[in-house]
Amino acid sequence: MKKISRRKFVEGTSAGIVAVAAIPAVEAQQKPTPAAAAAAVNPSVPRTTIKLTVNGVDHRLEVEDRWTLVELLRDHLELTGTKIGCDRGECGACTVLVDGTPLYSCSQLAVWMNGRSIQTVEGLAKSGKLDPLQEAFIEHDAPQCGYCTSGQLMIAKALLMKNARPTRDEVRTAMTGNLCRCSNYNHYVEAVMAAGGKA
Amino acid sequence: MTPLKTVGHATHRIDALQRVTGAAKYTSDIHLPGMLYARVLRSPHPHARIRKIDVSKAMALPGVNAILTHENCDVTWGSGDQLNQRRLFNNPVRFAGDPVAAIAAVDRHVAEDATHLIEVDYEILPFLTDVEEALKPGAVAIHEGGNLSLNNQRQPVPQTYKRGNVADGLKAADHVFEDNFTSAHHNNAQLEIRVSIAEWSGDKLTVHAATQGIANCRTDIARDLKINVDNVRVISEYMGGGFGNKNQCQDSDLMAAMLAKQAGAPVKLEFTRKEDFVAVHGRWSSRQSYKVGVKNDGTLTAIQMTALTGAGAYRKGSCDLSGTEIYQVPHLETSVSPVYTNTAVAANYRAPAYPQAVFGIESLMDDVAYALKMDPMEFRLKNMTRKFRDQTPYTSIGLEDCIRKGAEKFEWKKRWKPEPGSGAGPVKRGAGMAMGMFGSGLGRSSAVVRLDGQGQYHVHVGVTDVGTAAKTTMGLIAAEELGVPLEKVTVVWGDTDTCPYSVGESGSRTTVQTGMAVIEAVRDLKKQIAEKGSPKGNDVLTAMATTNPPPLQGLSRNSFVAHFAEVEVNIETGHVVVTRFVAAHDSGRVVNPLTAQSQVQGGSIQGIGMALHEELLYDKRSGQPLNAGYYGARIMTHLDAPLVDVVWVETDEPYGPFGAKTLGEPTIIPTVAAVANAVYNAIGRRVKSLPITRDKILGVLA
Repeated sequence: MKKISRRKFVEGTSAGIVAVAAIPAVEAQQKPTPAAAAAAVNPSVPRTTIKLTVNGVDHRLEVEDRWTLVELLRDHLELTGTKIGCDRGECGACTVLVDGTPLYSCSQLAVWMNGRSIQTVEGLAKSGKLDPLQEAFIEHDAPQCGYCTSGQLMIAKALLMKNARPTRDEVRTAMTGNLCRCSNYNHYVEAVMAAGGKA
Repeated sequence: MTPLKTVGHATHRIDALQRVTGAAKYTSDIHLPGMLYARVLRSPHPHARIRKIDVSKAMALPGVNAILTHENCDVTWGSGDQLNQRRLFNNPVRFAGDPVAAIAAVDRHVAEDATHLIEVDYEILPFLTDVEEALKPGAVAIHEGGNLSLNNQRQPVPQTYKRGNVADGLKAADHVFEDNFTSAHHNNAQLEIRVSIAEWSGDKLTVHAATQGIANCRTDIARDLKINVDNVRVISEYMGGGFGNKNQCQDSDLMAAMLAKQAGAPVKLEFTRKEDFVAVHGRWSSRQSYKVGVKNDGTLTAIQMTALTGAGAYRKGSCDLSGTEIYQVPHLETSVSPVYTNTAVAANYRAPAYPQAVFGIESLMDDVAYALKMDPMEFRLKNMTRKFRDQTPYTSIGLEDCIRKGAEKFEWKKRWKPEPGSGAGPVKRGAGMAMGMFGSGLGRSSAVVRLDGQGQYHVHVGVTDVGTAAKTTMGLIAAEELGVPLEKVTVVWGDTDTCPYSVGESGSRTTVQTGMAVIEAVRDLKKQIAEKGSPKGNDVLTAMATTNPPPLQGLSRNSFVAHFAEVEVNIETGHVVVTRFVAAHDSGRVVNPLTAQSQVQGGSIQGIGMALHEELLYDKRSGQPLNAGYYGARIMTHLDAPLVDVVWVETDEPYGPFGAKTLGEPTIIPTVAAVANAVYNAIGRRVKSLPITRDKILGVLA
């Protein structure tokens, strides 16, 4: 009978604690996704294993090299709050923060995200409390159809992290890469101005 | 007007939390177990006959489950064309972008890869991109019977309207003005791309659709697939905008259903942004010619308009023009001829027939006013409509107040300059205005209101809420009529299994039409409560009402609007900046001032884009669209958007729910003309073709 040393037991326990923190990542890996089915039929597509953090949760994932970040978020991590409006870097609906920088997630490959930290709209509210931007968006009726709203929130979040009290023109300039066809720009700017200093 | 308890107070959307947290599930956010992804192969040619189509290599690609072409799928898309038989896959193909095949595969990449493996042998046919060339003798016929489309009564003549006798009117005039105006095809460009998910369970079909009307979408699907309507369920919980291009059922709904049937698995079909621009539809273009007669004192005696409109390759919309009705004039004749070309299809886009036509008539009336040395605002006050078509009194009319109160807010007398083009320096400032109107309230809608044993009211309505806050509006109307706070009302929407028939969110009629049904149902419920008492425990009380448009007793129900724009035009670069904008609206009582303001500001800003930037351009030699997508269309951005001041003229309307009239579509109707007139006032030259781009401004200044 193999003897288990105390040291090995402790190491094993702490490994167990680490594993608890990583459970969401393990689940994401084990969940049968359409991607898994694709891999089964098309093994020739290059794949890479990456580690990344999304809304504070660590993930270790095998991704197809051709996947974009927005595809990874929406199709494989079930974070559908980030929208695809054009899939070609024109509209900003897919804006997320990558290490705090706003980027169009349709124009980033998932494999480039190795070691990066991503924040999406689902990560804005903290412990059930809305971000002041989300409160202001509700208050000022910023979303009409709501399809561009996640992107507008993330670009505004990036702005307020750098510049807590922007002027109206600074808001318009920072957000001009985020289109709203309902054209509710007046209310979006009002909402960001109202959240300024609170976010 | 008596103030009310709930209606008329600024209220947050009841689903605002879902919209700001990413929790709102739009159609493309839905993943079903075992779901396949689909892509469409489209014709690269503007006009061609398919000799042979070979899908064997695509079908052999691992992961491909189903492929549809015209050879194995003969489904007619009824709402894709009002006059001709338009199939899901047509042969011949009639525009660059006409669907040729649809593929379902395990993921979007495999589906995309498979489109490249389909081999199509095309016989190239002659094509047309220009409406005038399409009418020349010997032009290739795009549909049987030629390129001049039928009128709305299916007769081979233009759509006409006539009162009085224009020849008499012109004879009685002191001055006759003639001019021509054109407007471009431009796209709805809503942020949510066309998407459909179809799932069969036996012979029952569920379609998750991005639609403006779940009920009509359902009946259309049943008709086109020749299945019983009871076997079709349509769900649209959250919807990312449409502005008219998601009415009824879409070809993507039918393609997804047919692919799902062939594959034996649920299928999600998403179009790309480029497909949304070239292969869905946009607003019809127009070429308008006018003759206007006027007396020395500025009184109109006659208006004549003849126009061609661009239907594109199929006749999906009315392709009509409406603008002359805003003027009081004894002699009026209009004639509109829709024409086929091998270009993107034209159909409904926010007030489909209006802003381009109002651009024409309001540009010309501006010229008339200047020629008579009249203030364009005074000219409009003198000649504006007072009765519908000069005959039928309106149920309520606040047009004069819209003009006067809007002008006051805008400071018209200060900002408008009697000498157009005057001012020193390369940046010229100018002011313009225009007016508009919109009829409201066609169609039939139902509502079900249920009171449960816990005292909560459930309002079931067949709305999807395209961004207008329709759910919230229905809740407010119910709460007001019930005399309870909004929190006591739960709105149930977006699923044909749980919601009664509603005409759909088009024609700006949800508030007036479905809203009236809610009121009627609540009244019935209150009667039941009075008779039977409130339900306890597991009991419920239910009431239902269906309303048709109310009998208006010889009246016409319309909303009215006047827009005022100030622009700066750089005459060296042609660059236009809208610096001030006032929108004055008579939509009766405003049900929710917060969300109504969103709509007016949004519609106005959308209209500024139509005035200055937007056009889907075609290369005449190849028949190819050149600028499909957001960069090319140059829709309005944060930096382009001026602050829009909203002025409410709340007339006492006797017919709508709590006195409400139509709002959504009027918001874009006079915008384009107001901007165009401001550009004229700034530079003293008139651009007569939409959009008013820099090159055209530099052209008229040269």
